[in-house]
Amino acid sequence: MNVAASLETSVCRSIAADGGMLAITATRRPRAGRADVKCSVPGAPAVAERMQQVVRLARHAEARFDSRDQVVLSLDRAPGDGERDWELAAVLADRIVRGVFTPQREVVANGWSDAWHLGRIDGRRLAGAPAGVLLGGADALPHLGALNGQPDPGAGISSARAWFPMHSGGEHDGLGWVEVSVRPLARLGEGEDDPVSVPDVDAVRQAQVAAVLAGARHFDGRGQGRWRTTVRFGEPRFSGDSYQLALVMADRMARGREFAARGRVIATGASRAWHAGRVEAVEALAPKCALIAREAAPGDRILLPKDWEAALPQGLREALRARGASLACVERIGII
Amino acid sequence: MLGSLIKSTLQGTLRFPQRQPEFDATRLGSAAIALPAPNGLVVPAACAAVLVDRSGRSRRQAAGSRIAVLEGESAWCVHPGPYTCELLPFAGAPEIGLRVHFAIDASDPRATHQRFDLFLASEAGCTVELTGFAGLAQTALQRELAQGNLELPPCTTLEEWNAFRSGFNQLMYTRFGVTVDDCVPVDLGAANDYAAMLDARLAARPDAIQPPAAAREQAAAPHSATPQQAFVPACEDARALRRLFLELPCLMCAVRMAVMPADQGRFRQHQELLRRLDLVSLSVGTMPALELAAPGQPLAQDEQLRRARHSRRAAAALDEAWALLARLKVAGEGPLDALFDEADRIVANLEAEAGARRAVSAREVEADFEPEEA
Repeated sequence: MNVAASLETSVCRSIAADGGMLAITATRRPRAGRADVKCSVPGAPAVAERMQQVVRLARHAEARFDSRDQVVLSLDRAPGDGERDWELAAVLADRIVRGVFTPQREVVANGWSDAWHLGRIDGRRLAGAPAGVLLGGADALPHLGALNGQPDPGAGISSARAWFPMHSGGEHDGLGWVEVSVRPLARLGEGEDDPVSVPDVDAVRQAQVAAVLAGARHFDGRGQGRWRTTVRFGEPRFSGDSYQLALVMADRMARGREFAARGRVIATGASRAWHAGRVEAVEALAPKCALIAREAAPGDRILLPKDWEAALPQGLREALRARGASLACVERIGII
Repeated sequence: MLGSLIKSTLQGTLRFPQRQPEFDATRLGSAAIALPAPNGLVVPAACAAVLVDRSGRSRRQAAGSRIAVLEGESAWCVHPGPYTCELLPFAGAPEIGLRVHFAIDASDPRATHQRFDLFLASEAGCTVELTGFAGLAQTALQRELAQGNLELPPCTTLEEWNAFRSGFNQLMYTRFGVTVDDCVPVDLGAANDYAAMLDARLAARPDAIQPPAAAREQAAAPHSATPQQAFVPACEDARALRRLFLELPCLMCAVRMAVMPADQGRFRQHQELLRRLDLVSLSVGTMPALELAAPGQPLAQDEQLRRARHSRRAAAALDEAWALLARLKVAGEGPLDALFDEADRIVANLEAEAGARRAVSAREVEADFEPEEA
């Protein structure tokens, strides 16, 4: 439910071609018989018209329609001729002000699309962006659902993300993500090992990731011999095994074999027996729960090992539910 | 059966020569849920006849009786089932589904209208095939899940599953008038091979390298199975308006019964909601013809298309309203505030779409208050 989470105003920024910042401010107010979206760009009515079109198209990719509000979007200055990288920022500002998307920090986004109505983001013009900028395009954010890690229902390569708490006691603690992309193997059942590539990590980790996937797919019964898999980590330098459950969940989502969460899947857990689908406890219960309690957004699904259930901090479940997220302690993966 | 046959033959010979009209009932109860029945047919065993007049009022005739159609009525032969279908709760996860067993109950004597009969009158058109019905049920389920009104998250726990089941059962009963007997999660990997589906998508892309012939054949199959239906404004508009015209009064009646206002504030809220629904219903009943801007003045094609789109979106809001009614029925006193806010949103959407459908041009919809602004 988005009722409580919506704001009155939101600001999204975008890096312009001249290197400066563009700010898009979205304001929500009662509709009172006016147009659903109103846009203004100083000195560039054509850009304002395009913005209205972009925002309206992107709303087609949403499940819930509310005609009661008007959203007014304004750009602080006119972008350069033919510049379209602000489109993603406009779409996100519109979503944030209506509570459809709830980012934890300020959004800087660059991306354009010719198919906003499908939620797809085709690319960006910006090169060499600083860290933390949301970038549209096949190699970064290919469609709007990917903000929550969900696979694009129209794409030929299916990729899904899951998040896991990274805890080292330092100030870099936060949620890391793991992304699994699967592509059908051209010929099925060749009997070879499924190719799994994990760029940017050492050989030990690569072998571990491949073993976890092989085990979990064996438990699943249908994953073997049909996929070419690429696994990417948001932050490749980390230690520990607690990413494993997130990896397994992302793999199941990418292969279309798991129910979907509305938000992100945030999971922590490891196993010595993925072939049996078992989920075992990992270290650092208290700081990870605190981290999750801080980061969870509406619609998120949090999965913790069953062994943690008795020791969960008091009020965590209720606090998450109040925020619209849900928590489950699981003993094994799969249906119930 | 035999008795009724003899009786009807006797009747036939005694009065006027009336033969049993041709009717193939073999598909009923397996592939088809309801088939249009000719006048004079003796309702086959285990089935029931549903007769609907032009204004949507329905009545039933039991098995063994001879269908007697009154002026303006159309008749269906309905088999109560049980039926089995497989639904995909998430379009993005084609290998995991739900196997649903459902049945159509005998008429509920407490209800003023039978929901399934209303479904026949307003949406069925002609025959109700099991696959077509499953498609509608799947759409309703997917929408509720996407909006977060039903929850089926990864690693669903037993408690969450039970909550889902009660919500789903109520949704199916309130929206379609069918009773869900059983519903279990199933692995659909054998039927919907996701790897093959992705192969097909990759092959369909213009920049794709030509795959081997076998893969191409596989690729062609899913496309031919689901042909894209063209959007014909006149048909879509008529269908959507018919649904609104027939269903809104029944919906209002059900909303009135579903909530027992606890205090004065809630009573006012409830009354206001019903009043607005009534006005939408009136607006639908007096809707101008799709192809006319004014009497004798034709409307441009693209404006007709726009009007038809608004009709369809109003019908989608109507679907949401039925789903909300299901949630009202299972909800206790607790979430009523949130549900009334949802109701407010849905009715506002209905009002907006109905208003836009009446308008002659898109400018008229948006320019209402615009001049006041700086």
